[in-house]
Amino acid sequence: MQWNFQEIHTQAQAEAQAIDSPQAMEVFRLKYLGKKGVVAAVFASLGGALPTDKAAIGKGANDLRSFVEQLISEKSSNVSVPKIFGEQVDTSLPGTGEPLGHTHILTQTMQEIIAVFEGMGFVTIETPEVETEFHNFTGLNIPIDHPSRDAFDTFYLDAEDPSSKGRRLLLRSHTSPGQVRIMKQHKPPMAVIVPGRVYRPDAVDASHSFMFHQVEGLLVDDKAQFSELKGLLTEFCRRFFGPKVIMRFRPHFFPFTEPSAEVDINAEILGIQRKKWLEILGCGMVNPKVFEQVGYPKGKYKGFAFGMGVERMAMLKYGINDIRLFYENDVRFLKQF
Amino acid sequence: MKLSINWLKDYIDPKLSTDALIERLTMAGLEVEAIESVNGDTVLEIEITPNRPDCLNILGLAREIGAITGKTVKSPKIKNHKSTVIKNLIHIEDKKACSRYIGTLIRDVQIKDVPQAMKQRLISLGINAINNAVDITNFVLMETGQPLHAFDFDKLAGGKIAVRRARAGETIVTLDGIERKLDTSILVIADAEKPVAIAGVMGGQDTQITAATKNILLESAHFEMGLVRRASRSLGLRSDSSYRFERNVNFEDVLTGANRATDLLLQLTGGHVSGRGEVSVKTKNVSTKIKVKISDIESLLGLEIKPLKVKTWLEKLGFKLTAKAGTLIVTVPGNRADVQQDVDVIEEVARMIGFDRLPSKLPTIKTVNITVDKRPREIREKIRRVLMAGSIDEIITHNMINSKALVKTNMANLPVVRVFNPLSQDQELMRPSMLPSMLQVALTNINRGQKDFRFFEFGKRYFVDAEKETLGILISGRRAHDWRTSKKDTVEIFDLKGLMQRIFQAIGINPVFEANQFAVLDTSCATTFMLNGKYLGSLGKIDRKILNNWDIKNQDIYYAGLHLDEVYPLPNSSLKYQPISEFPAIGRDVSLAVKKEIPYQKIEEICHQQGGDILRSVQFIEQYLGDKIQPGTKGLVFSCQYQSNARTLREDEVNAVHERILQALTHDLAAIRR
Repeated sequence: MQWNFQEIHTQAQAEAQAIDSPQAMEVFRLKYLGKKGVVAAVFASLGGALPTDKAAIGKGANDLRSFVEQLISEKSSNVSVPKIFGEQVDTSLPGTGEPLGHTHILTQTMQEIIAVFEGMGFVTIETPEVETEFHNFTGLNIPIDHPSRDAFDTFYLDAEDPSSKGRRLLLRSHTSPGQVRIMKQHKPPMAVIVPGRVYRPDAVDASHSFMFHQVEGLLVDDKAQFSELKGLLTEFCRRFFGPKVIMRFRPHFFPFTEPSAEVDINAEILGIQRKKWLEILGCGMVNPKVFEQVGYPKGKYKGFAFGMGVERMAMLKYGINDIRLFYENDVRFLKQF
Repeated sequence: MKLSINWLKDYIDPKLSTDALIERLTMAGLEVEAIESVNGDTVLEIEITPNRPDCLNILGLAREIGAITGKTVKSPKIKNHKSTVIKNLIHIEDKKACSRYIGTLIRDVQIKDVPQAMKQRLISLGINAINNAVDITNFVLMETGQPLHAFDFDKLAGGKIAVRRARAGETIVTLDGIERKLDTSILVIADAEKPVAIAGVMGGQDTQITAATKNILLESAHFEMGLVRRASRSLGLRSDSSYRFERNVNFEDVLTGANRATDLLLQLTGGHVSGRGEVSVKTKNVSTKIKVKISDIESLLGLEIKPLKVKTWLEKLGFKLTAKAGTLIVTVPGNRADVQQDVDVIEEVARMIGFDRLPSKLPTIKTVNITVDKRPREIREKIRRVLMAGSIDEIITHNMINSKALVKTNMANLPVVRVFNPLSQDQELMRPSMLPSMLQVALTNINRGQKDFRFFEFGKRYFVDAEKETLGILISGRRAHDWRTSKKDTVEIFDLKGLMQRIFQAIGINPVFEANQFAVLDTSCATTFMLNGKYLGSLGKIDRKILNNWDIKNQDIYYAGLHLDEVYPLPNSSLKYQPISEFPAIGRDVSLAVKKEIPYQKIEEICHQQGGDILRSVQFIEQYLGDKIQPGTKGLVFSCQYQSNARTLREDEVNAVHERILQALTHDLAAIRR
């Protein structure tokens, strides 16, 4: 078959000039460039063409395609419709794909706390939840007859402590036994963070749970000072609650630290009106009796320790008013964070 | 501890506004938790830490305020009533349990009301005024911290007191009118016949002071703190006395309290001291002496300090000091048993300076000795990324569970660690599996109409000798929320398997999937994954019977568990670069019919056995289970990819290998080509 490319070009140009709508443009495009269009027909004719004509036909087809494409491109900048082909897509429809999963807010809070201390050079170590009386109490200078050892304040297990005949294993009532374990195993200097679950036989209500989470910190070297404890925790609070936080260190009592303090922050920074100060953590200089219990030489080391409740930090920071929400795991709660 | 400002002013005027006093007390470690106004008096509720029983009375608080403000405390003058000794009035069986007992016999008393001023003091502290004898014991308790009790002497059988353990079967009706069964661990005050008081906790009704009382036996004693605490807890009975004994009462105050109360009883009842009986293991406290170096105070607190200031503060707090060459010798008063070593003294100094005035600086952190195995955390974080991308939400569940939950989950036969003292049956054991607590969360959500959920938890399973870290995943409901990406169908086992395969990929392990070994899963739709012969976990549809037990009726739930404690020790995958082939790959699609029971995995295995080194991969395309195929068979479509790193493969060599594979499939599995 013979093709009069000259004529086809002329006709295409005339048709292009007459285009006055996107629909007309589409008709034009299909006529020349569609699957059954002119260009395709020219290519299809190559099969039956004389070998001497093949080159000319191939070139003619390619030239025609370029020519039509150019006509379309010129014309589309003149047609005063924003989009040439097809209907306007409603781009306000949501994108496809499933949403990301959610990391539990307690995990996020714990990660955030850990990240601050790791950023300052602490290392994170996890220690067991099932503990001995030595690690949970004796090693921390909590006397044999101390009320916290009562079955009212600590969960004991129906299992004997292999290291202490006749004594039961227990569920740690705080993360502080991690201090004892780590000091028994390592020599200073050290700066460690111990995060994890702790257990206390408290009746469950909006602010109490028999299981909750703590993050413990311990720094020991040969000259740790109370001023450094203050500096460290001040920096922590600034990073966790924001640079405008106001803190106060209030004397308190823990058997394993001396001096001991509790740290309060100003309630205002969290938008809380009903009180002025919010207690957020306990801390102090490691009691020399604890160093004695873990076998450090007398007077050789100084240290400080601190501990905070992860639930409490999360409740304060995110305005969560009931601790039970954390463990109930209602999807409407989980998906908020 | 309640502090009445009016009462306080009997001993000291702090010359501070209430707000300023609250601030100073709080910043000295005596945190004011509440303020109330009672009949024109201001009453502060102060949290006293357990190491400071000396502050559980008005005089103790006055001394602290004196030290904080520098003002002087005026203590009441107390006469020592040295009177006739009554022999054998007091008998103590166990001197460890009761190290001191002073019984003062006051005769010819007149029981009536106390003067309004004293009544008002008690009311401010929330104590009911009853009669002069009782009110005086309460007044002196609050004033000095020494618990006291007044017996109607004429009602004490035999006119004697024995301090002993209760005998089996004994009971007592306490002052609150409740009959209490006593056990042999409880220390009691008894007359010749029966218990008349629970030592340190509460007196008995039979011997209480009444309008008719003529003669009073006043008890002032020291009971062992642990005994009182346990008695109080086991009887569920707390009192102002037990609260103080639990925290320890100063041995020396036994006499002070007895004398102060005797003074007031003589003044306000018109009685006279007939005599006194005392049993005591010692006469005085042995006083503790502590050496404190000024340089140690300075280095621990990080500031310079004037020894003279330290001396003034400590003396105001009741310590006695001698100083020489930069060292202080501190003698601790009997009511400060909490001060035992130099750091305790340093804390007193720090309190007086004010923690907020101590300097603050960042520590130089050195940690050279501890290398931590980072792998567990890295693995968890890699897994977390896959789970986040898979729209799985993290949950944190209770790991103390009810044994019924185990029975419902068909796990009653698992070995468990029981809690010895659970609060309730709901926490009677430590979970041996993640599944029951996760199913509880599923149920909670289903009951709230939230039937589409995907949960995971990093938790622990508990055994007698180990806590094993585990990943649990629970999915149910609609597969996708968007009609464009999915039909309205529900999740199935392959969603979970794909997720688990992505997890394996993320953490660089390659376990094999085998027949299910986890009993709670439906055997027809579950698989177990193993690595080098070790069980790593299972996944599949939860058995319908178990879901019925949980009252989950209308939906299937899929569970996967991965034993992380088995994964952590696995060696890090050692990845090496594989050269990318420059030569084209050739694909051959295969469509077969095989017996339904033949697993697809078997086909892949045969392909690889026969495929030599030119078969690169076998890719599953489709499974057909419809009726356009011979009954008992299923259709499988997959593609074999052939490629070499060394050369372009020739058609005929690919054909030869491919034909060999097809023949093996036909021969070994009776596969029919479609």
